[in-house]
Amino acid sequence: MAEKRSLGKEFSKGLLIENPVLRLVLGTCPTLATSTSMVNALGMGISVLIVLVCSNTVISLLRKVIPSKVRIPAYIVVIASFVTMVQMLVKAFVPTLNEALGVFLPLIVVNCIILGRAEAFAGKNSVIASAVDGVGMGIGFTMALLCMSTIRELFGNGTLLDGASTSILALFGVTKFNGVDVFAHLPIEPALIFILAPGGFFTFGLLMAFANKIAESKGKSKAELRGCASCPMAASCSLLLSGEKEDVLSKNPRAAVPAINSEEVAK
Amino acid sequence: MKSFKEIVKPALILFAICLVATALLALTNKVTAPKIKASDEKAEADSCSEVLPDAKFFGEAETLKYNGKEYICYEGINDNDEIVGYVFKTSSKGYKGDVTVMTGIGPDGSVTGVAPLNLNETPGLGMNAKKDSFRSQFIGKTGVIGVSKAGHTVENGIDALTGATITSKAVAESINIAIELFGVKTGGVN
Amino acid sequence: MKYYLAIILTAILTENFVLSKFLGICPFLGVSKKLNTAAGMSLAVIFVMAMATAVTYPINKYLLEKNGLEYLQTIVFILVIAALVQLVEIILKKYIPSLYSALGIYLPLITTNCAVLGVVLLNVEKRAADPAFGFGASMFNSIGAGCGFMLAMVMFAGVRSKLESNDIPKFLQGLPITLIAASLVSVSFLGFGGIVDNIFG
Repeated sequence: MAEKRSLGKEFSKGLLIENPVLRLVLGTCPTLATSTSMVNALGMGISVLIVLVCSNTVISLLRKVIPSKVRIPAYIVVIASFVTMVQMLVKAFVPTLNEALGVFLPLIVVNCIILGRAEAFAGKNSVIASAVDGVGMGIGFTMALLCMSTIRELFGNGTLLDGASTSILALFGVTKFNGVDVFAHLPIEPALIFILAPGGFFTFGLLMAFANKIAESKGKSKAELRGCASCPMAASCSLLLSGEKEDVLSKNPRAAVPAINSEEVAK
Repeated sequence: MKSFKEIVKPALILFAICLVATALLALTNKVTAPKIKASDEKAEADSCSEVLPDAKFFGEAETLKYNGKEYICYEGINDNDEIVGYVFKTSSKGYKGDVTVMTGIGPDGSVTGVAPLNLNETPGLGMNAKKDSFRSQFIGKTGVIGVSKAGHTVENGIDALTGATITSKAVAESINIAIELFGVKTGGVN
Repeated sequence: MKYYLAIILTAILTENFVLSKFLGICPFLGVSKKLNTAAGMSLAVIFVMAMATAVTYPINKYLLEKNGLEYLQTIVFILVIAALVQLVEIILKKYIPSLYSALGIYLPLITTNCAVLGVVLLNVEKRAADPAFGFGASMFNSIGAGCGFMLAMVMFAGVRSKLESNDIPKFLQGLPITLIAASLVSVSFLGFGGIVDNIFG
């Protein structure tokens, strides 16, 4: 179905219209946890981008070989291998980033964005389209993380790109640039709470409100957490009634998918 | 044959995917493992020379026991083959897990420099322990170091990081262990 | 005993999985609308976390670490957890249908819940830093983390039921106000910092 759409559209949809964080509400855990500084956010974003592009490509290549019965475990194996590779590379070349991201680096495995894209897109589309989809979604994720982290680092620590040359920029040979201390010459102290957990939720809430406002003015619906529908396991999940499966996983997740109320199914 | 198609074939394919994935991982590990080790060693060597600037070379890592825990110590040697001090790698419990600190101690028993390693505290609070303004307070200190909070100054103390007393205490505690270890090492000179 | 109590309290309060470690945010936001679904989901999470730790701990210690295969941890753990959840689901369905009807529907959702893989990986990390952190400590840490998840879920379900009946500015309706409410709930958990260390020395 998506073969007819142009590659440009596959790429650009991930940036804004279907931004994984602000529109599809996927990958909220790493978004909140690693947006404490711009450097961490950039590192996380790039790691996810690499894993997403690689896994999308490989899964799309293998889509005719993998039997549909075992596709979820097969996808998980592919994704987990790429995550482990990225983790080893980060450990070897940017050890400070590995320290800062900690457990969230291996946890990219369960990042809903990656399994979600594998299930919803790469398993059904051509290799090139899948790779482009991965690039778009990965950049969209990185952009959302950068938005969050710019606000949090600026107001919480009073700096921008603090510690850049000891972390990700060292890869590119930049060793002198260590960020801008914006608040150094201001008579006010930064508000630490932005960097702490509450600040994460708060900033995310405000950004979401902002994204909703823009979406509304463009005549799009609000971002909603669609409960189970956003979960990549939805396809194999016993919670979903058979008729709804297709809708949930269809190319347009904003289509009227009723939020699945677990209770109703339980009855 | 139906059971073959429905059960055995998917299982075999899944198995093949796992096999390929594991092989690739083993390969990546083989390539990156020496690099990871080298970068760990480099980080440690760098912080050794940072905290004990007089030393040009460092001896083999030596394990010292103190209070039932094991710590690592390096001997610092200058160009003339003289011992110019020791670097101790000690740790103590911080806000979010262990805080590991490299402490350089000169021959006279005073601290020549400190560098927190493996610091994974809250950014903007505990992570500020990496800043020079905090670390330089320890230089030249001897004896048991205390932590002063705003409006409550202790003798031979350093100023705690704002809002991160636990991390400050953990760093100071690690350095106190290093000073104790120095005493053990040099036979109670201190 | 004091040691284990300290581990469990740390996991529930100071290192609360949802509100200070940001693990398991999806179910926290998605399934916390009603108190009984929140409680059901949390019970399933506690159960799976404990099972996952019980199974992965020996695998890690006797298979991976012994053979220098630590780099396979992520891939092995996620597959073991996925298989385990399926197995538990089948067993519950067949032999304990009453428990299945209470927890069963949440089980498939938990496979890709980052909190479960997260707790297993954090246990490994803690053991690497402190070799004394053994099987018992890992189990208590996992159960504590699950209980912390439950506490956050149940508290937040209460907050959300209040939100429903309030008049909220239009641009904040829906997810934004939920996140801001979560931010206020997590402020309350900031206050627990250091409390466990001070109680148990």
